[in-house]
Amino acid sequence: MAILAGCSGRQSALAPAGEDAAQLKLLFIVMLSGAAVLWLGLNGLFWYVTRHRPGAMPVARANAVIVGGGVVLPTVLVGALLAWGLSIMPAQRAPGEGLTLRVTAEEWWWRVEYWPEGATAPIVAANEIRLPTGTRTELRLNANRFIHSFWVPALGGKMDMIPGRETVLTLRPDTPGGYRGQCAEFCGPSHALMAFEAVILAPGDFDAWLAAEARPARPPETPEEIRGAEVFRDEGCGACHAIRGTAHAGLVGPDLTHLGARGSVGAGTLPMGAQALQDWIAHAGAIKPGVAMPSYDWIAAADLSALATYLESLK
Amino acid sequence: MNRIETRDDRDELLDESATLWRITAAPVIWAGHFLLCYGGAAIWCAKLGGGIGGLRLSILGLTLAALAAIAWNGWRGLRASEGVAPPELSRPEHRHRFLGRAAFLLSVISAVGVAYVALPALFIASCR
Amino acid sequence: MTQRAPEGLYPPTEEMLAEPVAPEVAAAQERRLRAVWQTRTGLGYWSSVNNSEIGKWYSLTCFAFMLCAGVLALLMRVQLAWPGIQFLDADRFNQFFTMHGSAMMFLFAVPLFEAMAILLLPAFLGARDMPFPRLSAFGYWCFLIGGIFVLGSILFDAAPNSGWFMYPPLATEAEGPGSDIWLLGLSFIEVASIAAAVELIVGVLKCRPPGMRIHMMPLYSWYVLVVGGMILFAFPPLIAGDLLFELERALDWPFFDHTRGGDPIFWQHLFWIFGHPEVYIVFLPSIAIAAMVVPTVAQRPILGYSWIVLSAVGTGFLSFGLWVHHMFTTGLPAISLAFFSAASEAVVIPTGIQIFVFLATLMVGRVTMSLPMLWIAGGLAVFTAGGLTGVMLAIAPFDWQVHDTYFVVAHLHYTLFGGMILPVMAGVYYFYPFFTKRMLSERLGRWAFWLIFGGFNLCFLPMHLTGLLGMPRRVFSYPGDLGWNWLNLISTVGAFVIAAGFLIFTVDLLRPGKPRLASRNPWKAGTLEWTDTVEGEDWGVRSIPYVTSRYPLWDQPEIVARMDAGRYYLPDAEEGLRETIITSVIDARPVQVQRVTGDAWITLAAAAFTGGCFILPTFHLYGPAVVAGLIAVGCILYWLWTSTARVPEKPMKDVGLGLRLPTYAAGPAAVGWWAMWITMLGDATAFASIVFGFFFYWTARADFLPPGAEHAVPGLVALAAAALALAWAATLGARRLNRAGRQGQAVGAVIAGMVLAIGGGGALALSVAGLAPAAHVYPAVVCALVIWTGAHVAVGVVMQAYCLAGLVFGKIDRDHDADLWNVTLYWHFHVLTVLVTAAVIGVAPHLL
Repeated sequence: MAILAGCSGRQSALAPAGEDAAQLKLLFIVMLSGAAVLWLGLNGLFWYVTRHRPGAMPVARANAVIVGGGVVLPTVLVGALLAWGLSIMPAQRAPGEGLTLRVTAEEWWWRVEYWPEGATAPIVAANEIRLPTGTRTELRLNANRFIHSFWVPALGGKMDMIPGRETVLTLRPDTPGGYRGQCAEFCGPSHALMAFEAVILAPGDFDAWLAAEARPARPPETPEEIRGAEVFRDEGCGACHAIRGTAHAGLVGPDLTHLGARGSVGAGTLPMGAQALQDWIAHAGAIKPGVAMPSYDWIAAADLSALATYLESLK
Repeated sequence: MNRIETRDDRDELLDESATLWRITAAPVIWAGHFLLCYGGAAIWCAKLGGGIGGLRLSILGLTLAALAAIAWNGWRGLRASEGVAPPELSRPEHRHRFLGRAAFLLSVISAVGVAYVALPALFIASCR
Repeated sequence: MTQRAPEGLYPPTEEMLAEPVAPEVAAAQERRLRAVWQTRTGLGYWSSVNNSEIGKWYSLTCFAFMLCAGVLALLMRVQLAWPGIQFLDADRFNQFFTMHGSAMMFLFAVPLFEAMAILLLPAFLGARDMPFPRLSAFGYWCFLIGGIFVLGSILFDAAPNSGWFMYPPLATEAEGPGSDIWLLGLSFIEVASIAAAVELIVGVLKCRPPGMRIHMMPLYSWYVLVVGGMILFAFPPLIAGDLLFELERALDWPFFDHTRGGDPIFWQHLFWIFGHPEVYIVFLPSIAIAAMVVPTVAQRPILGYSWIVLSAVGTGFLSFGLWVHHMFTTGLPAISLAFFSAASEAVVIPTGIQIFVFLATLMVGRVTMSLPMLWIAGGLAVFTAGGLTGVMLAIAPFDWQVHDTYFVVAHLHYTLFGGMILPVMAGVYYFYPFFTKRMLSERLGRWAFWLIFGGFNLCFLPMHLTGLLGMPRRVFSYPGDLGWNWLNLISTVGAFVIAAGFLIFTVDLLRPGKPRLASRNPWKAGTLEWTDTVEGEDWGVRSIPYVTSRYPLWDQPEIVARMDAGRYYLPDAEEGLRETIITSVIDARPVQVQRVTGDAWITLAAAAFTGGCFILPTFHLYGPAVVAGLIAVGCILYWLWTSTARVPEKPMKDVGLGLRLPTYAAGPAAVGWWAMWITMLGDATAFASIVFGFFFYWTARADFLPPGAEHAVPGLVALAAAALALAWAATLGARRLNRAGRQGQAVGAVIAGMVLAIGGGGALALSVAGLAPAAHVYPAVVCALVIWTGAHVAVGVVMQAYCLAGLVFGKIDRDHDADLWNVTLYWHFHVLTVLVTAAVIGVAPHLL
């Protein structure tokens, strides 16, 4: 049951939602079948020889086992596998076809910029990537301070993000849905809590979403939201966070312009919701070890609730 | 009675120097071929970039040369390992045959290694 | 000068060997041998240097460190048993997995190879001891001190927490002393490992019994030779990396800081150039144990001796071409990755050959399944599974998917359990009667096997799937909705089953009252270690045999009786000195009687102060560290002066069977010269790694060399190169003059050499005095080369001073010049270092 649940999981290399991951799954299934046959054959022989003791065989036959099993068989099988493996490398690294994402790994979250073809300024987001199906998107990967690794198993292999070196990954999703990505290179205390949502959309949906994402934030409307915006201002949140369409333009932390539309809080740490936002604001340090954001545990309960409501409204 | 011969390591090593060289020759050729391929590709992609047609052709040429050298080396080793040996293992002929055989077998492994390492040049056509 | 060459009869004839030894003569010989080789009791026991004591301590210490690292693993498995457990916090979890990996690799896997080899090798070779017993003791004490220091840091919550491969910038920027403890503590142990490797290589090449030609060595010694060579080329890049890393931590030289021209990827190259051969360094010695057990089980010689030798040598070579497969996801060009993918697949072939040789040997033999063979069979089953996943991982695109996930965790544990732990356990069961003259329990042994084997598969088989389902390694917790929960719980249960197996094994190992051995060769094996009597004597072998077979106990029926009777070589210790026979490299012709060093405290003192020199800088106590280092050098010099290459009381000695051998050797005939040669190969590798750095930065970084950079002053560089080259010539001249009997001129030449060396070193230091190494990686790497070369100048001067003292005080004379030979050899390598350094810092920047 666990296995079934997992194979269809949101972070599984065995449940591909893109061309690259599907190719690698096929590669794995073939290799696994071959490996199982070889393992059973070799260990079956050992079992037979040591348990059933067929008696001394002629030396010539045993020498043939060394040459055939030790040299010829692996040379041919491994050589064929190597050729196949090498032949799919260019496809896995094919160039992008238009849209480019620039993803920068911070400690421990993801700065995301969308650069549609011909754009002169990016559309900035954080902790979530959205990609269209049916086209190969290029992701230009950077890191701020430590080495991280960008990995969405359902879409394809991973690529390290290294300070001072830009690496490039291209992905071609084919099944719309919500998937999960996670940092795969150990990067310090909150390595385990550095994840993100990967949302795959049909091309039309994607264009609509990107147009919405490019817009400034929705202004606060209800009294609660308005109070929340005031708390945001008074506590100085804007020193680190940007909300487009307001005066807040901090660049240290994640952009919050459309925070409420994202699937998670704290880079894949908590599921999005007003309560999660409250917990995060008041106890970020306890939830995510080493996080740069202070724990605002002095904010009064009513204000905290208002702030969370405001942030959640930023759809 | 056998008097001990006054020979030291230098004499022994000289005695077998040809075979000893042959034993190391094949893996060293593999290592040289490997380093040239890797270093050549690294420098080509870092300093020249763009198409790597020239690089791929050079690798192919280098590989043929390396395989030829290993084949010659292995053949020499095989010849050293042939012939009827006396039954006692402690005779020097055995040592000579052993070293020849080791050189031959290492040549086989090294040749496979060289051939494998050349495969990327067939399949990969860019620095991406 | 006197000719020193063996004289008399060799090889011995059957009549000579058949001649009986008079019982009263034999009794007197035994009395003298026993007195010379006796292990001290009481406190003095700890000053032992004999290979059986050192090997025993070494092995038990490794085992203890393994248990500690295993406990860390259990604690981690508790934390990971289910999502949301708060048993360990993130930082402690990170410390634990860093220490688990570091300890298993550096405090268990590699040292255990050395421990077992020190314990077994002399017995396989019918030798009385290793060639440099005090070096073994020094290595052991270094290992113990360093190991306790590194592992102990976990108790103070100060352990390194950046993972066992210590990637910068995470590890360079880590707060607290953790990273320094890792770098300095483990560098200290690596130095000890290299020392042991040097000793083992010399042991295999020069301490074989007469007649054991190179194609007759027990397979274990072939593996020791190959693995020793691999250590020599694999560890130095890491030591060089450690040096650069520590320079960045302590002095802010930006080798791995991209903002000042450095590159974190450079560390990854250095680490994995060490790290992948390391895997084979761990694996091959365990296969070597299998290569000893399998013929015994099959009761026939190994089929395809030369296949095994070629596989070991081939694996040794190929394993140096795989390192980038740990870096497949770093975004290097596909073509670069592809070469390493190919080489990684090529190494499958020699590895596979070894397994098929075992299979073929069992096929042609008459198998008697014994407990050791059960462990070997279990090991092969596990290892082949790990090898097959290794074939998958070597395919770069597949690795992009599963790299740094639990799939890799499963793979590496399959290779290490199957390729190391289980065969080593086979070795423990197989050799235990040899070490202790008692048998381990068959029943408990089977329990231990099935618990460890079953628990292992329960723990690690599910991890393949956990990884494919997306679980990255090194996470202290995970969400509950990704299908990983049950798999992790099963793994945790499996881990505790493994622990239960080890518990049973430990109980069996430590329990008193195990039955004594009935006969000396319980497995009916064919190799020399089983000639040891059931009483077990400290002398190792009663007399050193003349060997004419790969399996002397099977093919030379009289050998045991003749060895016992003292019929063979060195049956006596008339001078009251510990002695063993040195033979030639290829044909094992006797060439010398080596007087090996006896018990001493000085090695312990030297290790303690060397430890101080490495450990104190962790706490930024640089002054005391320098003092400790100087005392350590003093201890080592005292030890060398008082016990190595002493002028013997007589030039030749009768070793029995009508053979007379020299008691002193210099130059290529001496074991010390070989040790120097081998050590300098390793040293040159470390230097080459730093030079590689220079060209790596040039390839990888557009801002190398930075425009308008300050360079080393060319005139001073040239002056330094010239002075140091002359110092080399003077040293060589001193050796020649001494041989020619002109001691006075030799003293003059040595003094001139010292003055030139000091002057050259000073000029070299001045040439870079104007550089600012913290500003950019270019001046930093130039200064690192100068530091390396300068430190070697200092060592070279100390060596020259040692020779000067030797010439003045009569330790070195016309006929006894081993020290001069060794020092000249050092200077041969050193002058090359100097010229390369001069070319790289003085010439290359103006050409690139």
